[in-house]
Amino acid sequence: MKIGIVGTGTMGRVHAAAYRRMGAEFVGAYDRNPEKLAAFVGAYTVDPFKSFEELLMRVDVVDVTAPTYAHEELAVRAFEAGKDVILEKPLALTPDSGRRILEAARESGRRLFVAMVVRFFPQYRKAAELVHAGELGRVGVVRLKRVLFPPGPGWYRDPEKSGGMPVDLMIHDLDYARWLLGDPVRVFARKSPPVEGEVLEHVQALLSFPDGRMALVEGGWAYPAGYFRTALDIAGDRGLVEWSSDQPPPLATLFPAGEPAPEVGLPMAGLEEDPYELELRHALEALERGKPFDVAPEDALAALELALAVRESAASGRPVEVAS
Amino acid sequence: MRIGILSFAHLHAEGYVQNLRRISGVEVIGFSDTDPERGRRISQSFGLRWFWTHEGLLAEAPDAVIVTSENAHHREHVAMAAAAGADVLCEKPVAATVADALAMQEAVERSGVRFMTAFPMRFSPAVQALRDMVRSGELGRVLAVVGVNHSENPKRHRAWFAQKALAGGGATLDHTVHLADLYRWIFETEVGEVAAEVANPFDPEVNVDTAGLLLLRLENGIPASIDASWSRPNHYPRWGHVKMEVVGERGTAILDAFAGHLHVWRKGAGRDYEWLGYHSDPAQGMMEAFVRSVRDQSEPPVTWRDGFEAMRVALAAYRAAEAGVPVDPRSLV
Repeated sequence: MKIGIVGTGTMGRVHAAAYRRMGAEFVGAYDRNPEKLAAFVGAYTVDPFKSFEELLMRVDVVDVTAPTYAHEELAVRAFEAGKDVILEKPLALTPDSGRRILEAARESGRRLFVAMVVRFFPQYRKAAELVHAGELGRVGVVRLKRVLFPPGPGWYRDPEKSGGMPVDLMIHDLDYARWLLGDPVRVFARKSPPVEGEVLEHVQALLSFPDGRMALVEGGWAYPAGYFRTALDIAGDRGLVEWSSDQPPPLATLFPAGEPAPEVGLPMAGLEEDPYELELRHALEALERGKPFDVAPEDALAALELALAVRESAASGRPVEVAS
Repeated sequence: MRIGILSFAHLHAEGYVQNLRRISGVEVIGFSDTDPERGRRISQSFGLRWFWTHEGLLAEAPDAVIVTSENAHHREHVAMAAAAGADVLCEKPVAATVADALAMQEAVERSGVRFMTAFPMRFSPAVQALRDMVRSGELGRVLAVVGVNHSENPKRHRAWFAQKALAGGGATLDHTVHLADLYRWIFETEVGEVAAEVANPFDPEVNVDTAGLLLLRLENGIPASIDASWSRPNHYPRWGHVKMEVVGERGTAILDAFAGHLHVWRKGAGRDYEWLGYHSDPAQGMMEAFVRSVRDQSEPPVTWRDGFEAMRVALAAYRAAEAGVPVDPRSLV
């Protein structure tokens, strides 16, 4: 299966590096920006495509790592060309846009994998296995944290293009909360006061599930440069699981301080297995063998709706009922 | 490829069966065990064919066997497997005496089978990253190494681990070999000298050592320590640790090979509070390497020599503790 990447920014590089390590048949890339494209294909020694049309002619699987606002157009055109699509999260900027992508997939008979990578982080996966196996009994309270420094200049900072922090970042843990507990009935979120001229934002969302189960999902572009912390805390009536990125990694180093912070931080430190590689390996294997994906397109759509409910509640200061 | 398990005396055998079953093209043909209670239990819980005798298993002409018997039986079992023409993956320590280890080498060389020592930590991605970092010179000249492989007393899982006649030694023999092998492999040198304290401060009911602290001088001049003690209590959240700190002239690397774990509290579990690992099992990579060498008829990545040298470091620790002076492991012949 020949794979082509469209969009050569941060996530394009992450996916390209993972394909390389896996030995997947990653053949080329397209980007509207010719200089970025040239640097990218040079780094991964793949073909530059002159246009998205050329990419569609040359590959079997289209990996869309372009900015969120371009997802719908690129994914729909890929489906119309009869390609399978791997689409970086979030699915889209609005539920209607997301539904059009799902509809295009259905009409074409091709398959859509939305790359919700947190489900492939080994610790999140192991914790979910314990929950699903009933090892913790009935889960009552879930806490999930994901806070890092604000993104640098670029489209991430523009909510019209990225959906803003809840849609770009919190969606990971909102999806994970759904994976553990199913659909919530209500969302109530509080956000930090605005900071003039900055995209600093911290949001805490209280999710209410049927039968009194609950979750506190915390997300933020709020830390000083270079910091990225994540954590999970899942309490049941027979057991408890805790994990935090503050735990020491398998291999740490002490070198003179002063390395420049990356453009967008990725929580890689401390991981032996690269979750992006696990995720893409899963997607390609499911495509090759016709097996179901661990993340259904409907899950990605529901997570988007939940993220938008969080954004709406944080803006209005009122609870938002979630339609199931 | 048909592989048999020669004895379930060592608790690692259970994990190895799972490792083998994940490798395509490998058939686990069964296991031999002369302990009827264990044989029945393993046969039922793993759905494996049980041979009452090791001869019975070897009569099935397996391509390879995993020798996971008690340390004192490795010599006899490896010789049997070699005579039957089966390649061998042998649990560490390869033996408890120099004479046994040399006899195994001779049996293996005479029959021409392949022999691999089971040192799974070489296949831990974190250990491999540390080795790359050292070898690339990123840390600068290495100044000192601090190593920890302490654990709980394994006798509650298998009594023979703490019986001198079957294990040959206690904590010091059990645990020194892992780090001794990693030091040889990472720093590409032999262990030049061993000073040690060896004692039994933790369990008066057993006739082996339950603690060992080693201070080594690697041949290239690096001072390195090993904590091989069974010093974790039974209610510790996990069996123990593999840790190593490498202090270099330009930077320091801190390895905690099993750092990737969830904190889990459960009712009715083996441990009320447990560190539950979420990373892949290093033994999986080791088993894949063994299967590859059997399949390609190539030299295994961990040799008899590797197992032998690591064992000699442990034996040197006993000798050094007794004599109160440092001992060169290569003087043990």
